[in-house]
Order: sequence, then C-alpha cells, then structure tokens
Amino acid sequence: MSGTMYKTFDVAVIGAGSIGSSVAYFNAKKGAQVVLIDAGDIAQSTSSRSDGNVLVCDKQPGFDAIFAKASQDMFPELSRELDYDLEWKQKGSLFLTETEEEFEIASKFCQDMKECGISMRMMDQKEIQDDEPLLAKDIYGGLETISDGSVYPIGLAYGLALGAEKKGAILSLHNRVTNIEKQEDAFRIETENGTILARNVVDACGVWAPAIGAMVGLPIPIRPRQGQILVSEQTFQVARRKVHEFGYMLTKFQSGSYRRPVSERVEKHGVAFVFEPTASHNFLIGSSRAFAGEDISSEIEVMKAMAERAIRFFPVIADIKVIRSYSGLRPYTPDHMPIVSGTPVEGFYIAAGHEGDGIGLAPITGKVMADMIAGEAPFMDLSPLRYDRFFSKEER
Amino acid sequence: MGTEKGIIYDGYPSAEEIRQANGWPEEERWEKGPVAVVECVQQIPCNPCEGACPFHAIQIGNPITNTPRVDTEKCVGCGMCVAACPGLAIFVVDKSLGNGLAAVSFPFEYVPLPQKGDQVDALSRAGEFVCKAEVIKVMNPERNDHTPVITLAVPKEYADQVRTMRRLRLPEKGEGFHKAEKDEILDDDVIVCRCEEITAGEIRKAIREYKATTVTEVKRRVRAGMGLCQGRTCGKIVARMIAEETGKPMSEILGSTDRPPVRPVSFGELAADKEESDDERDNV
Ligand SMILES: Cc1cc2nc3c(=O)[nH]c(=O)nc-3n(C[C@H](O)[C@H](O)[C@H](O)COP(=O)(O)OP(=O)(O)OC[C@H]3O[C@@H](n4cnc5c(N)ncnc54)[C@H](O)[C@@H]3O)c2cc1C
Ligand code: SF4
Ligand code: SF4
Repeated sequence: MSGTMYKTFDVAVIGAGSIGSSVAYFNAKKGAQVVLIDAGDIAQSTSSRSDGNVLVCDKQPGFDAIFAKASQDMFPELSRELDYDLEWKQKGSLFLTETEEEFEIASKFCQDMKECGISMRMMDQKEIQDDEPLLAKDIYGGLETISDGSVYPIGLAYGLALGAEKKGAILSLHNRVTNIEKQEDAFRIETENGTILARNVVDACGVWAPAIGAMVGLPIPIRPRQGQILVSEQTFQVARRKVHEFGYMLTKFQSGSYRRPVSERVEKHGVAFVFEPTASHNFLIGSSRAFAGEDISSEIEVMKAMAERAIRFFPVIADIKVIRSYSGLRPYTPDHMPIVSGTPVEGFYIAAGHEGDGIGLAPITGKVMADMIAGEAPFMDLSPLRYDRFFSKEER
Repeated sequence: MGTEKGIIYDGYPSAEEIRQANGWPEEERWEKGPVAVVECVQQIPCNPCEGACPFHAIQIGNPITNTPRVDTEKCVGCGMCVAACPGLAIFVVDKSLGNGLAAVSFPFEYVPLPQKGDQVDALSRAGEFVCKAEVIKVMNPERNDHTPVITLAVPKEYADQVRTMRRLRLPEKGEGFHKAEKDEILDDDVIVCRCEEITAGEIRKAIREYKATTVTEVKRRVRAGMGLCQGRTCGKIVARMIAEETGKPMSEILGSTDRPPVRPVSFGELAADKEESDDERDNV
C-alpha cells in the first residue's frame, strides 16, 4: 500500500494545543495542505489550563527576550486576522520587588533588557503605590514592561485552528495518533480513525511529545511540570493589569544563589505570586511548579500557599472569594527553552516544550515552523531551540 | 484502612467511611423523628447543602474540605438539603414511624417517577436489592431544580441500608440518563448560564460552528458553567442542547470532567488554614 491510495498531506501537525494550532495556521497560510490531528478537542490539555500572559518581562536578556518579543509583536495583527475573539489586551505588566536587594538586581536587569530592545522602566515605591493603590504599603518598588499583554488562551488555540481550517486545513479531532512509520516518500500516520499520509510531520504534543517522538525512534527530553491556578469570583478591580513578583524570577535564573523571604510552603511548592485580571472581571492567582508525574488534582496545600503569597502583595485579596482552582502540566525541558526544530529523521519536526510560555510563544513558533518546512531562512538564528542541543556530539 | 473498599474504589462510600464523616446522627436522635443523614465523605470543597437548609442545621466551616456536619437539634428533617446536594449524598431517615417501620427519603432522577402507594424494590448504596418497600411520598417541587425526592417505608432494621430504589424502567441501549421532566427547545435569547450570562444561542453556536461535542467542550468555548455555581445549574441544560443538536445519547455527553471545585471560600480563609507542621513565615 502506498500514498497513491490516499491524499498525501504536505504537513501533518499532531496536537491541537496553542502550539499545534499555530503551526497548522501558518503552514496553511503559506498554501500547504495541512491536517491538524488531536486525540481530543482543540486546546483540551495544557492550553486550556493556563493563564493568558504574553510576556517578555520574564525572559533572559538575549535570544530568549528577542524571540518572545517577536511573538508578542504578532498578536495585534493576529487578533485582527482571526475570526475568534482572542481578548488581546496590551496593558503592560508590573514586576514587584519586595526588598531593596531585589530592586537593585532589577535595575541591572532593566538595563540589559533595554539593550535588547525591550521597553522597561523602574518605578520607585511612591510611583507603584500611585499606580496600584491596593498594593501592600511596604513593597519596595517595581519594574514596568510596557509591551506585555494577555489573551484568552483557549480562544487563541480555537482562533488559530479554525483559521487554519478556513485556509483549507483539515481538522481531525478526537482522533488519537497510535503509530508513525516513515516510508520512502511520506510518513504513514496510524490513527484511531484510519491512516493519514504526510510528507512532513510536526510533533506538537506538549507533555506528550516524547510519546510521538518514540514512534520514530527519537528521544525527546520533555517532562510534565505541574502548575496550579486559583480563580476569584467576579469582583472589583484589585489591580489594573498583570502583576507578579520579581523575586521568583531571581530564584529561577540565578539558581540557588538567591533566596526569597518567604514561608516554607511557598518555597516548597515553587509558588510565585502572579496576578492576572480577566476580561470577565475575575482574576487568576498563580503560580506553582512541581514535577508531580501526571497528577493534575488540586492539591490543597499548594492552594493555601498561593493564597498566602497573593495576600502578601495585595492584602485586600483576603476577603475575596476563590471560586475554582485548576491545574495543568507545563511541558518542561532541561534548559527551559522550547524545541522548535527539525530532527535527524528527515521531515519530522518538533514544536514542543514551551513550559510556561506556550501561549505567548505560539505565534512565532507557528511562523518559524512554517518557514522551516518551506525551506526558507529564519528571521534570526534559532540554534538555541535546536533538538540536537540536548545530545553530546557522539550521540548526534 | 488496608481493605480496598470505599468511595474511591467502589464509587460509593463504605459504612465505615460514612460513620467517620461528620453527617451521621447520634444514636438517641434517630428515635425522635426525621433527620438528615449526610453521607458526604469525600473531602471536596463543596457546600450547596449549607445554604439549602432553612434552619441552618448544616455547617461545613473550616478548613474548606471539611465534610458537612448536621446539627441534629436544629434539623427538622424537612429534606430541603436532599435535592440541593449535587453529589446526591444526603438522605432523610425517620425511625419514629412505629409498627417496626422507618422512612427513608432519597433523591431520584429517573423517569418514570413512582406514585404514592407503589410497591418498589429498595436498594442499598451499592445498588443491591435490600427489601420490598412502599412509596409513601413523592416530592418534585419546581424549586428542587428537577431533582425529585422519594420517600419509602421500609422495615426499621433496613433503615441504614436502603438508600435508593430500582428504576421502574431501565433505559434503552444508548439512551442513558433521563431527566424527570420533559423539556422544550430553548429560544436563542434565553440565558442558560446565569453566572456568566450566556444565552442558548451562544451555546448553540459553540455546538454548530465551533464543533463542541461535550459539556466541557462547550464550557471551554463560551465559558458557560465557569461562574460561581460551577455549572451545577446549567450543566444539564447544556448537555440536553448538545443531545438535541448532535443526536448523541446523553450518557456520552455527560462525561464532562468537573474540575476539582472550590467551595466559595475567601483567599484569607484559605491562607489562614495552616498545616500543623508549618512554621510561621521565616522572616520579614
Ligand atoms: C498553570 C499554568 C499557567 C500557565 N500560564 C501561562 C501563561 O500565562 N502564558 C503562557 O504563555 N503560557 C502559560 N502556560 C504554559 C502554556 O499553557 C503551555 O506552554 C502551552 O499550553 C503548551 O501548548 P502545547 O500546544 O505545546 O501543548 P498542549 O496544549 O498540551 O497540546 C498538546 C495536544 O497534543 C494532543 N495529543 C497528545 N497525544 C496525542 C496523540 N497521541 N495523538 C493526537 N494528539 C495527541 C493533546 O490532546 C493536546 O491537545 C501555563 C501553563 C500552566 C500549567
Ligand atoms: S433535612 Fe431540612 S432541616 Fe435537616 S439539614 Fe436538611 S434542610 Fe436542614
Ligand atoms: S452539597 Fe456538597 S458538601 Fe453538601 S453534602 Fe452534597 S456534596 Fe457534600
């Protein structure tokens, strides 16, 4: 049996989260014949258990920041282009520095980011208090990032997937991929509902990307890292925009050398204060991190730690009600950068491992993947995202 | 412990789990008249029962995952809480009937409903036959949100075992769950999800144009059921609309996963609830 019996697609994208939907959209936009396959519904996994932050403020100066900025810059146009309402809002973000030490480190960071073309500025105590009057009075200062914004993450995935369909892509939902076989001229993708043939395959399965990679013999070093979110009732405006703590980022970047002045449970569950207002007048409180296998139940201890941390920055939050919590699995890679890359298996690509940034980085990921498959030069050197960076020379 | 029995293994609580939870009345209280038996053993954050009791007899308190406690002095056995519990975990038992009989009331959502005077098969929590019983009351008021409450008279010795009755008609293959009342097609401008003000028209659009096939998929597309009530009110209506639009049986559609709910509790209550071993804040 060969491809002549069936239509052979140019590109089969496996996984219809924010990433796969974007890859499908930008490939279809280039005129490729695309099929977008998912085991379930669009955005049924991590992409619907996520905040909608589209940030550059928490990236490292250099490639990380420039790549994130390129993605962020695509949102205004995307939200005009797609039929679905992405709820794109660009209100900037505010990093809070809890102590003088954090403020000093943030000032240096701000300088480095400006050199990468990111517009940021430091705000002193008086200025942040004027800006966000409900803030705890002892917060030392802040760092504003002007271009940061937010979207409705589920809407982003729907918008892109339905946009791809409009441009001729086939959506094959509720159809799990069970095996992939590389044949001479195409991949033979076995699914629950039959066989699909495609010249190129993009593995966009988030935390499940390793299972798809294994089907063609590729090890993919992605692990699920759990994160939780608390949802408030609809209420008054606690803060105008996205607010989060700078201290947590320090523990992330300067692994080990910085310790926040926090309680044990906050430290233990990797809780970072993240506040995000939603279009429906609720707000979301994050965030936590844990390698908890694939368990996504709401652990009560983590919720308590998140609530405690939120009240530390905004005491008024204490009296507002939590109506819901949810958790999701972030696709984590050892160096915190995604894999957006070709592989030693010709025609097999990976677009996964975006950890806590797969919403914000979805547009640029889709775009560079479409360029890559079409054989066009990328807009910048993408070697930090290459698949083979995880393997020593001999293993390559 | 040790024996793998109980709600997470069987889907219904074991006798031990129920007695350990907070809702089991004291021995003397049984003889005094009808009383609520709350067999809510999973420590999920949930509380409609607390608000449903007109006599404020049910309390959950702190921490938020407490199982409900019934103040059996305040409880008059009116049964308002029975229909309010989305987990169908509350019963009213009356051991003061006399003649060796006891009355057991339970929520029952299958059509056709029995009539007063019918002889039916009384079943245990596990759905096993316990004894024959007479239906002595059928309550189906509008404000129960279509969860009827049935009362059976059973021999007193079975009062702690009987918790439901055999359906009068078993569903046809693929037919699944049936609501106790006939429904009409909703107009497009009728608000289905009151928490987020989402209309039937918007939900239909999610099904027709955005390809939603389950309650969860509708939720994600239009945010119905994401408000304060967590979909307890609108969930069934959304499921019915999907059935109308797609012809799928209700049993398939209802497979919606409820996210672990948070009983509306404030951030402050949550944060104040310390682990025993948890030290105070390190410094600052
Ligand atoms: C609590 C939390 C908060 C977050 N906040 C933010 C934020 O504010 N901003 C941000 O940018 N990012 C955030 N993220 C991260 C972001 O959600 C993820 O990086 C992103 O959703 C990953 O998308 P994805 O498409 O790679 O994966 P997914 O959304 O998981 O999609 C993978 C898809 O693959 C499908 N699949 C798996 N196996 C198969 C198979 N065999 N056959 C077919 N299909 C298959 C699955 O069904 C799934 O739909 C957050 C994450 C969490 C958990
Ligand atoms: S039976 Fe009536 S009085 Fe007793 S707890 Fe339930 S609602 Fe309250
Ligand atoms: S309403 Fe909720 S808390 Fe009360 S008994 Fe039912 S399940 Fe338990």
